[in-house]
Amino acid sequence: MSQSNQEIYHDAVVKRLIQFSVFWVIIAMGAGVYLAAEFIWPTIDFGQFWLSFGRLRPVHTNGIIFGFGVSALMATAFYSVQRTSHVPLFMPKLAWFCCYAWQLLVILGAISLLAGWTSSKEYAELEWPFDIAIAIIWVCFGVVFFGTIATRRIRPIYISNWFYGGLIIVIAMLHIVNNLAIPVTFGKSYSLYAGAQDAIVQWWYGHNAVGFLLTGGFLGMLYYFLPKHSEQPIWSYRLSVISFWAFTYSYIWAGPHHLHYNSIPEWVQSLGMVMSLILLAPSWATMINGIMTVSKAWQKLRVDPALKFIVLSLAFYGLATFEGPMMAIRSVNVVSHFTDWTIGHVHSGALGWNAMITYGTFYFLVPKLVGQPLHSIRLANIHFWLALSGTILYILSMWAGGVSQGLMWLSVDDYGQLSFSFREIMASMTSYYGLRLIAGLIFFIGTILMAWNLGMTMRGRNTVPVTPPPVPEKFRLDRKAGKDETTIAPGVPAA
Amino acid sequence: MQKANFFYPLFRPGLIFTEIAKGNAFSSPALAFMLPVLLILPPLFLWLGTGMFGWRLGSASPLYMENTVRLIISLSYFGALCIGFFGTVYIAQWMGSTYGVKKSSRAYFSLLTVVFFPITVASIAHIYPNGFFNVLILLPTLIWCMSLLYRGLPVALEIPPERGMLMSTSLVGWLLVGAVSILGISVGLWTVGIGPSIAV
Repeated sequence: MSQSNQEIYHDAVVKRLIQFSVFWVIIAMGAGVYLAAEFIWPTIDFGQFWLSFGRLRPVHTNGIIFGFGVSALMATAFYSVQRTSHVPLFMPKLAWFCCYAWQLLVILGAISLLAGWTSSKEYAELEWPFDIAIAIIWVCFGVVFFGTIATRRIRPIYISNWFYGGLIIVIAMLHIVNNLAIPVTFGKSYSLYAGAQDAIVQWWYGHNAVGFLLTGGFLGMLYYFLPKHSEQPIWSYRLSVISFWAFTYSYIWAGPHHLHYNSIPEWVQSLGMVMSLILLAPSWATMINGIMTVSKAWQKLRVDPALKFIVLSLAFYGLATFEGPMMAIRSVNVVSHFTDWTIGHVHSGALGWNAMITYGTFYFLVPKLVGQPLHSIRLANIHFWLALSGTILYILSMWAGGVSQGLMWLSVDDYGQLSFSFREIMASMTSYYGLRLIAGLIFFIGTILMAWNLGMTMRGRNTVPVTPPPVPEKFRLDRKAGKDETTIAPGVPAA
Repeated sequence: MQKANFFYPLFRPGLIFTEIAKGNAFSSPALAFMLPVLLILPPLFLWLGTGMFGWRLGSASPLYMENTVRLIISLSYFGALCIGFFGTVYIAQWMGSTYGVKKSSRAYFSLLTVVFFPITVASIAHIYPNGFFNVLILLPTLIWCMSLLYRGLPVALEIPPERGMLMSTSLVGWLLVGAVSILGISVGLWTVGIGPSIAV
């Protein structure tokens, strides 16, 4: 197939999405640190509803997941799908629409949450007008992504695109089904489901939002950027394909482990627990694949702080994906549920895995996009140690606090009465919350350093034009003939 | 150089890592003496502490456990530490082949003894088994241990610092998984009635 010399990859939209992602991580993480302080000094909401925990907390979570996370995923998906398909983005104006419409949505969504509009479903708090907007933008994201794949010039579809594709399809399905509701006013709706059904659907959504967005999407990032960055092929491509299908099949069943000892059938809880345990296998397959890939590129660590973030993110990915199934075991969950251990677990994933893999990717990607070396490698190295110590301190303080809390919730006296009141338990947590605040601040300072470093690298510079390279003949996809010319098996890496 | 002093891991870790690389740091009999002492200290302190001051979870009065329960907890703790330490040595040796280490088992034992030395000494905090007090003492010590691991591993095992960083991170991953496993197993034991009494 002929290839026009005029074609260049659409990287300006990638750069803009990275800027938005960094903006959101500062805002949302700042909100998180403020919330951590509210646990110690509850009066710092100054009597303002919009500063209260109930309203600020969903801004923190939505800002991180949808502002920081989705912007980063859109950026890296748009960047990598062009390079693995050897064509520029399909419908680039639609990609720009996705970029700006998504930011507008997150800003307006955050304002609505601060104003008290909420569906009260965790991670799906936004009310119905926003839900419809999310669905429309998400479909547009899918059109750009799958359109690019459909117009590709290379036969194989690289593994990162399978993960990004899984993210787009499954999140669309989860979002639409979970948010089916009857609107009452412009700012209020009621779920179509009731009682236990509502809980099951909500956690089918909630857990798989973690699974396919915060895990699957970021695995797409890992599978593209780790080999590019380390200049090594994936250690085992076959293992990556197997783990993709095993991951996709098993994750979708695991949601009920959020509802142990609840008013849902016991067999549903047990099924959720068993599928959570099975999930360990594909998760660790990916971790081992990543570590073995990077272990061949150890020389690069000398000059490349970005790779350190990716290496560390794999260690925390291993931890979080082990801890999750363990906490899904009912005899462990009985103590860990409704404690800060869960918060520690979530942040071992969010800080250790999602943030670190994204930071490593940004440190790699931004200099490439603008054709300039990173402004300060020393600053990036300082950021690395701040991120590591902040994450470790966060996790350990929440482990200790959470276990102590769990024991106190379940402690009874000789008469079978609860030994501790809610107030006593919360008061005993103050010291742990102090450590958590310090940990959050350390991590946040590192993130601000990164924002400044990346900002200085990008400052006043446009993206470097890159043309798609020619595709080797044996991998070429001949569309005019209506068939491909290749004889290789599907799944062979293209990147 | 003469054989390393028992307390060198605390005060002169840099020197001792070089000596491990040369094979001079600890003789096998010295290791055979040090290891059991280090592994027995934390459960011993816990046993003493839970008897003297009781287990303190926070604001409330201390929780005194029966002697048998204290003994079971301390022995389980000792068992977990032994499995953790020897498991880490085994895993480190297994990882070593990937990262190009060509050292005997003694080097791994010596390295990890030095790395874990501060935390075992700091476990004296268990004598006053208040949850937050222990976190306050053990957390900075743990960060110290991690820095010893990152600094010492490439020196002691004679591999380039970059490979050392990779191997150290892999070991940190393993240790975090080990730590959370201990938490999970402990909680599992509590729910079947071994340990503090909880209403499950």
